[in-house]
Amino acid sequence: MRPFELTAPESVADAVASPGTFLAGGTTLVDLMKLNVMTPQRVLDINALPLRGIDTSDGLRIGALERMSDIAAHPGVYPVISRALLQSASQQLRNMASIGGNLLQRTRCGYFRDVNMPCNKRQPGSGCSAINGVNRMHAILGTSDSCVATHASDVAVAFVALDAEITLAGASGTRTVKLDDFYRVPGDTPDVENDLRPGELITEVVVPRLDWARRSTYVKVRDRQSYEFALASAAVALDIQDGQIADARVAAGGVATKPWRLTAVEEALRGRPATTQSFEDAASVAADGAKPLSHNSFKPALLRRTVVRALIEGSR
Amino acid sequence: MTSRLDGPLKVTGGAKYGADNLLPGMVHGYVVVSTTAHGEITAMDVTAAKGAPGVIAVYSPFDSLEMRPAETPLFGTTWVPLQDREVTYYGQPIGLVVAETYEQARDAAMLIEVSYQERPAVTSFENGIPTAEIAPAPRPGVEAEITVLADGVESIEDALAASPVVVEATYSTATQNHAAMEPHSAVAEWTADGLIVYSGNQAAYIQAAELASALEIDVESVRCVNPYVGGAFGGKGRTSVTAFLAAAAARALDRPVKVVLTREQVFTATATRPATLQKIALGAAEDGTLTAIRHDSWSSTAMDRSFVEPTSHGTSREWYATPNLAVSQRMVPLNVPPVTYMRAPGEAPGSFALESAMDELAIALNMDPIELRLRNNSTAPPGHDLLWSSKHLDECYRIGADRFGWAERSPDGRADGDWLVGMGTATAMFPAIRFPATVRVTLRDDDTAEVGTAGADPGTGLWTVMSLVGAESLDIAQDRVIPLLGDSALPPGGLSGGSTATASVGSAIMAAATQVIDDLTALASSAGAPFEALEVSYEDGRVLAGGRSMSFGELLRATGNTTISATATSAPGEELTKHSFSSFGAQFVEVRVHKWTREARVSRMLGVFDAGRIINEKTARSQIMGGMIWGVSAALHEGLEIEANGRFANADLANYLVPVNADIPAVDVHFVQYPDTLHNPVGAKGLGEIGTVGMAAAVANAIHNATGIRVRHIPIVIEDLID
Repeated sequence: MRPFELTAPESVADAVASPGTFLAGGTTLVDLMKLNVMTPQRVLDINALPLRGIDTSDGLRIGALERMSDIAAHPGVYPVISRALLQSASQQLRNMASIGGNLLQRTRCGYFRDVNMPCNKRQPGSGCSAINGVNRMHAILGTSDSCVATHASDVAVAFVALDAEITLAGASGTRTVKLDDFYRVPGDTPDVENDLRPGELITEVVVPRLDWARRSTYVKVRDRQSYEFALASAAVALDIQDGQIADARVAAGGVATKPWRLTAVEEALRGRPATTQSFEDAASVAADGAKPLSHNSFKPALLRRTVVRALIEGSR
Repeated sequence: MTSRLDGPLKVTGGAKYGADNLLPGMVHGYVVVSTTAHGEITAMDVTAAKGAPGVIAVYSPFDSLEMRPAETPLFGTTWVPLQDREVTYYGQPIGLVVAETYEQARDAAMLIEVSYQERPAVTSFENGIPTAEIAPAPRPGVEAEITVLADGVESIEDALAASPVVVEATYSTATQNHAAMEPHSAVAEWTADGLIVYSGNQAAYIQAAELASALEIDVESVRCVNPYVGGAFGGKGRTSVTAFLAAAAARALDRPVKVVLTREQVFTATATRPATLQKIALGAAEDGTLTAIRHDSWSSTAMDRSFVEPTSHGTSREWYATPNLAVSQRMVPLNVPPVTYMRAPGEAPGSFALESAMDELAIALNMDPIELRLRNNSTAPPGHDLLWSSKHLDECYRIGADRFGWAERSPDGRADGDWLVGMGTATAMFPAIRFPATVRVTLRDDDTAEVGTAGADPGTGLWTVMSLVGAESLDIAQDRVIPLLGDSALPPGGLSGGSTATASVGSAIMAAATQVIDDLTALASSAGAPFEALEVSYEDGRVLAGGRSMSFGELLRATGNTTISATATSAPGEELTKHSFSSFGAQFVEVRVHKWTREARVSRMLGVFDAGRIINEKTARSQIMGGMIWGVSAALHEGLEIEANGRFANADLANYLVPVNADIPAVDVHFVQYPDTLHNPVGAKGLGEIGTVGMAAAVANAIHNATGIRVRHIPIVIEDLID
């Protein structure tokens, strides 16, 4: 970790006008600074900014500095969000990590995290070590010839399923972006991970009201029971009326370069009876278009199975 | 049951580990490691590093520290860093930056540019199998290939061909790292009396000998201090590169130096358990009686070929009664970090293969797996005349089956909602060994006693065992016994390795206590002493004669002494010519595999062990529980991924997985207690390693019971169970 200058802006306006890298919970930034992957010269501690509050009166509004653990424990939060949060990281990390920071966390690709290895995301043009390397944890959807890194957030998958938006403050004012549109697939520029403009700061996450999302869940499949990233995950919400699926929201994690909305699965569910057979039929298209890598040819099947399980558990 | 004496210190932060020593004027070293697996370092540009803030010195093969390879009787030659430009593995220590602070040293190290003349690296264990080399003889008189044949049988192949039922399969196990919680670290200081090194290690006196050899100084002028060790498991047997570098740099700079490996460096700059491949064939009669065992084993090894994982020798050589046996051991040298002992070396990965094969044989015979094992229970290792000194494996199985509810097991598992549930079992064995140990017992005039030996307690419970055996041997309360451990200035003994410490140190404590009591009673009856010319006896911490008694403290004060000491050694001897010795166990696991997403989770586990006398059931249980959790870890989580270029793809604790609390349900441990005084006077046999031995096979067997899928490699992961 190189020496850096630490300051604490006193307002959002002050923060977005100051050059530097924002520090909230620090669970990604400090980690990557210790590995020399991120070497900011100026760090802006934004923890004193008034970006707090969890409001469930009409949908869900979450201040960007709310901690993951507080959101997970809030009684008004949709189950899919709460469960995605509770299966993330560890209690200690959830106590520190902010929701805004969670949405901007960097990939866990081991080559991105090792400065001795080529990585197009860390050092554009240097090459991708993962495509021909150890890539079991990597993505099968949304990949390109330059990057196959998986998006690591769980709660972002739940947010994308629920059409969440984020509010961004910048030097020229604020704007609102749908989270699904905010994230970018890598293409030829894997270093550009999202639509964030220089100096912009996430101030709020907004989930539109969706009363039937009370029937929702998040299933995360991983190599151990806690404190591990997903091999595959699924966020589902189901509107079941008289045993029929009126509407559905489905998104997947652990398999794609960004939180992956599965609209084809949603479409296949609508109007079908809420049965395991319907879930299996709908999930059969979940991995369409997947490009498995040398170490993760199991992921399309695992993704389909994970979606089925989430639909079964979500429908209960 | 006695609580761990060092427990309160450890949970309150009071226990001082090696790197906790902060000495006046101390500076910090950061290790630089190679980023190629094979080649010669042609240049290291250290100009920028030397100019960085706080930097005091930069050492490299071009500007080295004065050392030579360490030579000791136990370990042979131990490599020391920076002595040449050869790189034989990725992550090899090639430099040391010393600065005023750790951060300055680390930042400066990032500025070093290394140039290599790279050579092709051999990194694939699998590709090396066809050209594997025969392993060196494990010890004098024992070859890597051993065949035992019944009269009239020409070959093991003939024995297998004549067997009515044969199962044959190939198993493999992953490269593992000990991943102890305390990273390898050292603080070294040179004083007028010589060198002091604070560094977590499995035997202070052996570390002192290695340092003396490497630094070419008298062993008497080296003192190693390691009262607390944050886990070792074989990975802190040899002296670490941090201790060599800290000691040599402190000598060069004439300042105390601390060197701590990063977690990533621990994976490469120390040593690992080798990968193994094992081919097993079991032949049996229709009633399950074994007629032949063939167990061929391959182990990865580093280019120095200094260690192989003795899987076939550690298991099939000894475990079951069979008239025909053939075991072999081969090795595949690779450009990988050094390999070494890791908890149950040989036995743990070996039993995964043998005990999986036994499960497969039971299925082929349509026989209960426990019944098959008891049918082949041995009274001695195959082809040996020396009977087991004390063996109650059958009782372990009977008690275990009852406690675990084995009778409810169906051959096809059962379903619980969306979870498939299965049970598995496996035998565990670990040889009962002891090493020579010397202990000093000192009685003090305040009526306390010190019991001291140089070795180490890396979390095993040896501190507590020493106080208990000391109290028993001196016939005083445990709180009056002060154990001394982890200091090479103490008498040599108590190496933590091979599950030997309790038997070795305990026996020496008994001998030294007997001696000091003899000396005490002689003192009591000596001329001018309170019991002059009387026949003095000793009981309950007191000397008695003529209807009077005094505590030993009172006697010492009355005779003008502050202490009386005796030192005694206990070592293996004639018993080795009379019996074979081992600990035994029966292990049981229940797993749940999700019907849809296929993750396997252990839901119950039990181990029943015959390990001789249990000195302290509480710490003994902890040892076994830790071992069993290790076994779950090997079965379902742990494995280093070695890339074609020799780099470990998952060398950190985020990617090298070990179980978390949520993976481990309650662990049931039971001991059948038959003191084995044929092995040693204390009657205790080893506990440190056997807990891990049977677990991986028990997990794999349970997964087969639950799913019908036989996985012949570990770790077993989700994709292995997706059809």
